[in-house]
Amino acid sequence: MSAVANKNARVAWLFVLPAIVIMAAACLYPVISAVRLGFYEWSMGTPWSQARWAGLTSFQIAYTEPAVWSSLWTTLKFASVSVTAEMALGIGLALALEGNIRGQAAFRTLFILPMMVAPIAVGLTWRYLFDAQFGLINAVLGVFGVAAKGWLADESLAFAAIIIADIWQWTPFVFIMVVAGLANVDGSILEAARIDGARWWTMTMRVKLPMIAHVLAITLVMRLIDAFRVLEVIYVLTFGGPGASTEVLSLHIYKTAFIGQKLGAASAISVLLLAVVMVLTWLALRMSNPLADSEGDR
Amino acid sequence: MKRRELLKAGGIAGILAATQFPLIRGVWAQDRYAKYRGQTVVMNIPAHPHYDAMTKLLPEFTAETGIKVELDKIAIGRMKDKQLLEMAKPQGDYDAVCYIVMWKTEYVKKNLIVPLEPYFANAALADPAYDMNDIVKGYLENLGLVGGKKGYLPGPGAKLYGLPYGAETSVLAYRKDIFDKHGLKAPQTYDELQKLLAPIKAKEGIGALTSRGQAGHQCVHAWLLHLNPLGGEVFDDAWNPAFNKRPGIDALKLLKEISDTGPAGIPGYGQGEMINAFLQGQAAMYLDSILIMGQVNDPAKSKIVGKVAYALHPKGVRYASQSGGLGLAIPANAKNKEAAFLLLQWLTSKPADLKVTKVGGNAGRMSTLQNQEILKQYPEFAILTEQLRYVEPDWRPIIAEWDEINIQALGVAVSEALTGKKTPEEALNGTVPKVTEIMKRGGYLKS
Repeated sequence: MSAVANKNARVAWLFVLPAIVIMAAACLYPVISAVRLGFYEWSMGTPWSQARWAGLTSFQIAYTEPAVWSSLWTTLKFASVSVTAEMALGIGLALALEGNIRGQAAFRTLFILPMMVAPIAVGLTWRYLFDAQFGLINAVLGVFGVAAKGWLADESLAFAAIIIADIWQWTPFVFIMVVAGLANVDGSILEAARIDGARWWTMTMRVKLPMIAHVLAITLVMRLIDAFRVLEVIYVLTFGGPGASTEVLSLHIYKTAFIGQKLGAASAISVLLLAVVMVLTWLALRMSNPLADSEGDR
Repeated sequence: MKRRELLKAGGIAGILAATQFPLIRGVWAQDRYAKYRGQTVVMNIPAHPHYDAMTKLLPEFTAETGIKVELDKIAIGRMKDKQLLEMAKPQGDYDAVCYIVMWKTEYVKKNLIVPLEPYFANAALADPAYDMNDIVKGYLENLGLVGGKKGYLPGPGAKLYGLPYGAETSVLAYRKDIFDKHGLKAPQTYDELQKLLAPIKAKEGIGALTSRGQAGHQCVHAWLLHLNPLGGEVFDDAWNPAFNKRPGIDALKLLKEISDTGPAGIPGYGQGEMINAFLQGQAAMYLDSILIMGQVNDPAKSKIVGKVAYALHPKGVRYASQSGGLGLAIPANAKNKEAAFLLLQWLTSKPADLKVTKVGGNAGRMSTLQNQEILKQYPEFAILTEQLRYVEPDWRPIIAEWDEINIQALGVAVSEALTGKKTPEEALNGTVPKVTEIMKRGGYLKS
């Protein structure tokens, strides 16, 4: 590398250094604090000086507690079902609204509205919609002769309810990402495929989706991370019930920290959640490896 | 007699002495407030009908005292987190906080709120006309006292840390039109109540009795409503779990029956849905907080205006209605403690209690409940006054560990019994180890 290139690289690093420092502090400090807190017993409302060193006790208790593993299992089920459905619906909608169809802009705006609603409001709205007595969903089902259901009073239905609410809110995110990805697909490649006789299905599965694989991978990772952190909507909709059937890991962490006042144990479980999310992120990125591909494209 | 009992309890003896002492009686109201004129009391309150009513009175307080009040109104579910964070700081933003009864022992244990006796004993601050004896005894003991028997009941060592403001008990409300139509009588006992459940559902086609049922605090609250009158308790005197004994199981079986014969969806009902089902005519009975009284005859909320009558919370082996609701306290790290005390004292005084009740708040004083004008406005206060004789201050254990037991242990077990996933016996017996472990951790039981 020449001296000029070296100097340019140094200047470039100098420009991005503040951002790197800020990002590192903003990301690493909370993580380190959370891990550190896991080694202490500390109750909210008391000074930190009263925190008691507990060693690995919180981690041992947290990871041997059946409720932690059952809530992790609930989270895995929730994330896999809801994210799969969101990906399928989001991609489908984006493909449907891709061409020059009438009212396209209005449809697109309409589809992204749920994403903009505050999660607490989403939870409250769905709580009313799922109300066994007065809810719109039972009213609509009634029109088709289906008996009213206690959506939030039955374990399976409550689980379905939290998934439906999540799909409603987050499918638009997938939709936006895919629409943006499709807009960047090189038209000449699509034209070439058409000339080669590719029909809609082949064009979609063999050309369009592979070309936006990186976008899909990033979208999948972001949705998985969000699904693993879901809290507010379930907090309002079911508070983890009936029983503990909808108690996802983040809600369990919330209850451990703010109801059980076991901040150390809550931090220890948070580390578990962080590890799971990191593994999933790594797997998803590895499957498509957008960075490596983009290096190769250069 | 009442006064002697309170003195015996020891918790508020100092206050009574202070308020009755002749030398300090002559302090004029304007002197009390002069020093604090211009100060601003920051108060954390919930979005709650009683506090909505209170807000209407504040301009009068400011005009009378010169003390301004700034409200930080937040959802009741978020209040504790916010208060804990604020009160742990060397100096917090709050001069006064509203708290739910279950938090009082935890706040005292962590030295987050201050005792009120020194303020009531301070001649420069205390209102000689305050009359502590007039405050509903059950409310005062339940919401105010910490440090006595069991740590939260009256008795030696009990001190006053808060004043009831938005306190409540339970009553039975029923649809008089439906009961008259079928020639039914309001149930006076739990046997009578149970016998009404299935027939009402069959005859009227609506739920018999509405109830809370959502996992966590809501379903435990519903179960405790029946546990106490049926002779049960959560812990015995040595803090061993006792909730899984016969009365506990009977109470849970009854709650399951109430859920099965009630409006659809009770295992998912919070307090709002429970009240709404009754107000919208989907249940013939309501057995819960007196909060219902202010809503039944409001046409904007209710379809059953003029159709509701009230009765005592039915008797099981004893009368025992719920004790709970909200109180006011002063944080230890408050900047303007004296001004905050003056606000608390003013709000809970006889004239202000009467005023807040007139505009839809909860009455906290016997003089308000017996006021003829108020009785004309709320004839149901006659039943309420009688019900207050049976308020059970030990309705639930008000210990710092209760939130965890309530939500993460019993709150799951009761919910699982309601959905039929477990029998009441399986659900409650299966929770004993978890509750025992929490009690050991809290130091109540030996490890």
